[in-house]
Amino acid sequence: MGKDLFEVVVNCVKLLAIFLFMVQAVPILVWLERRGSAFIQNRFGPNRVGPLGLMQLLADALKFLKKEDFAPEAAVRPLFYAAPVFALIPATLAYCAIPFSIPLSVEAFELFGQSWGPYIFKMQGYEMNVGIVFILGVSSLAAYTIMMAGWGSGSKFSLMGALRASAQIVSYELALGLSIVGVIMLYGTFNLTDMVMAQQGPLQFSAFGKVIQLGWLPNWGIFYQPLGFILFFAAAFAESNRLPFDLAEGEAELVAGFHVEYGGFKMLMFFIGEYGHMLIASGLVATFFLGGYGIPIWTVADVRAWLGTMFESPQTVDLMTMLIHLVSYLTKLAIFLWIFIQVRWTLPRFRYDQLMELGWKTMLPWALGNTIVTALVIYLVS
Amino acid sequence: MISDALLFWFLAFVTVGSGLAVVLFTNPIYSALSLVMTMVGVSALFVTLGAYFIAGVQLIVYAGAVMVLFVMVLMLFDLKQELMAFSRGQITGALKVISAGLFLGLIFGIITKRSNLSFVDKIPSPADINIDNSKELGTVLFARHIFGFEALGVLLLVIAVGTVALARSKGGTHAKH
Repeated sequence: MGKDLFEVVVNCVKLLAIFLFMVQAVPILVWLERRGSAFIQNRFGPNRVGPLGLMQLLADALKFLKKEDFAPEAAVRPLFYAAPVFALIPATLAYCAIPFSIPLSVEAFELFGQSWGPYIFKMQGYEMNVGIVFILGVSSLAAYTIMMAGWGSGSKFSLMGALRASAQIVSYELALGLSIVGVIMLYGTFNLTDMVMAQQGPLQFSAFGKVIQLGWLPNWGIFYQPLGFILFFAAAFAESNRLPFDLAEGEAELVAGFHVEYGGFKMLMFFIGEYGHMLIASGLVATFFLGGYGIPIWTVADVRAWLGTMFESPQTVDLMTMLIHLVSYLTKLAIFLWIFIQVRWTLPRFRYDQLMELGWKTMLPWALGNTIVTALVIYLVS
Repeated sequence: MISDALLFWFLAFVTVGSGLAVVLFTNPIYSALSLVMTMVGVSALFVTLGAYFIAGVQLIVYAGAVMVLFVMVLMLFDLKQELMAFSRGQITGALKVISAGLFLGLIFGIITKRSNLSFVDKIPSPADINIDNSKELGTVLFARHIFGFEALGVLLLVIAVGTVALARSKGGTHAKH
């Protein structure tokens, strides 16, 4: 947690801030999704409440909060009420482990008659040595909330939706896990910060004892692992239950899947969980394949040197470097979130057997093949 | 260090408590969910011991995959008759007494013979705990114990093939015609 009170407090505030960022991103994403879908389908979308319909979010949130809190008669109450709360936990825990920006160093200072610091604050909830394994492990717990909701509602539609959703999540977890084995082998680490650091600067790698450099391409994972990128991105759609993989909802046959019986605030929590999984998926894709918070072609040292020509104090340079990388990360995040929305309103839904065949008979063998080929290439080249 | 001790006691309480709940709940779904909680608790204990990789794998494999299937299957059954037979029958009563006796014997054995048992060779220093030991784990698994590792892989493959063969021969949606 930290070595003294100040650090502990800052770390706790940081965790809270990341959680709030996740929760606050949801209404904006909902607005973006509704306006975006309207744009794609040549409609207007919500445009009446406030400028650009932005106040619609507040109205929606208020509506969710004020709705009656009810449970169906056949529901198993403990599970029915616990499920929405548990829906938030895996998403939050996993999102906290993704690095947002470079660590911010704070010099020693005086406060309340005491000297504090120096500190180095990581721009993430907590750093794990086994970042990927932790994120995969925690987000695999999301299946339980779906099953608790589906079974606890005491409705056949919910149960069918929950079964579909959890079977889908378990199936695609294999492809998801295997598709990033290539990335792990490439960088030789589980640590997300180390991965971002390995993708700095222009494209450069050593093959057969020679160093090959391409100055006009960034040193990103997507150029080494294109197949891994496609598989991971597709599996991430399935994991977050988004179209074209939203068989869990399937409103034509299941009304709304596992959350049929939910309304009001509880429904909102499921919403936040789902969008949280989208945020995690986008953050992970950016971290594995697009250099995380890195600036294309420039390294952190380059940015720092460039800022050093403009600002005097090293503290300002540090802060500005952190902010620039934060903006870079958020830009990549936003791009992937937009792709999520664009895909949802462009592609039709799979049939259930097509979904399972895609997962088990197409993506799993390709991911295995990608792993083997990557291992062979790394062994032969080095 | 007091926070470490508090954390350990909290996690131990959660793990053992949910482990007890697995046996004490009469509803199988609650039992299965408590077992999940036990797995998560064990994984958190691994984290406090510095075994991050094992903790993650424990979460992915046991909590994330195995128990999901358990819970999924349990949700589809109407277990009222089995529940009655299991909680009220004479044979099951005898089984309960026997297993309680075995469990007590185990605890008794551990407590009285504790001096002869040594669980760890040496207590690792805090510096050892914070290093990334997944690399060492990989080296040990794939270099020293490669035969056992591969044999286990073959065993799992045999199990998977056997399950599919059994499922096909006994009927069901994918039965051979």
